[in-house]
Amino acid sequence: MSSTEMLLKRLPNDIGGVPADPIVQTDHPLLPWEKRCHALADVLDFHKIINSEEKRRGVEALGTELIGKLTYYERWAAVFALILFEKGILHPEELARKMAEVQGRHQAEPAS
Amino acid sequence: MEEHDHSHDHDHDHSPIESPGDVPPSYYEVMETSLRELLIEKQLIAPGEIRRQLEVLDSRTPALGAKVVARAWVDPEFRSRLLEDGRSACEDFGITFYDDTKLIVLENTDKVHNLIVCTLCSCYPRPVLGLPPDWYKAKPYRARAVKEPRAVLKEFGTQIPEDVEIRVSDSTSMVRYLVLPRRPEGTKDFTEEQLAGLVTRDAMIGVITIEPVN
Repeated sequence: MSSTEMLLKRLPNDIGGVPADPIVQTDHPLLPWEKRCHALADVLDFHKIINSEEKRRGVEALGTELIGKLTYYERWAAVFALILFEKGILHPEELARKMAEVQGRHQAEPAS
Repeated sequence: MEEHDHSHDHDHDHSPIESPGDVPPSYYEVMETSLRELLIEKQLIAPGEIRRQLEVLDSRTPALGAKVVARAWVDPEFRSRLLEDGRSACEDFGITFYDDTKLIVLENTDKVHNLIVCTLCSCYPRPVLGLPPDWYKAKPYRARAVKEPRAVLKEFGTQIPEDVEIRVSDSTSMVRYLVLPRRPEGTKDFTEEQLAGLVTRDAMIGVITIEPVN
């Protein structure tokens, strides 16, 4: 089998049946922003802006390295941005400007 | 009824839904906040919708699924409707579905033990169980459940007799599964509420069975 054949047959999400480590029964209560990210995903789905299959494919399109390095909801946030750009709903510059504003807001109003 | 269409019958203050903390927000948290605000500014989503959905998410826990299971144990008519069409039986039971998913309820018997997984991502019967635990979304469970379910079950401390078939169901974005565990022995005189108290999330995923009551 050629070296790329398995890569093609097994896109990053397609891991059913591959060898893997023992299961560690991990869990954590969601951070507030993670829960908001989940709620955003649901609302985007309600409005048919991004459905869950588009989201899943979007995660896959991040590629193995990013999938491995980002946490679950970090992937979602990144994918929402990319899909919204792709659909022409948001422009990258708009998001960059808004992110600078949000960041600035936190710096201007340090938590008491 | 779709949850997100409901009209607000209580006052919401419109203060930010971020919780102020001492830790500066991460890059991705800033991204989440920014996306949400831009979508609201563009009137693609309404400001109250995220808050409402946060409430919906908070309202979904395995306790709901446990009530469904207990009802199925005591009410054979409900049980057959549940096995026939999981979603409509749950909806009749008062559990709204906030997504477009179909629910298939898989009954454990003395011949078949069911286990659910989502090998591709993290599909899960969220309207009845809430959000999945981290291990359900992580590689080891997703990769191995379909290949060596008995070894996986053993890691959860579960041993299924060799003559019982283990059936693994792989969820999709449209089709979700819920395991109807076997009613444990020693519960003949239990009320429906007491029965519901025995049913856990992991039993409804199928990684454990419910212990007999002495």
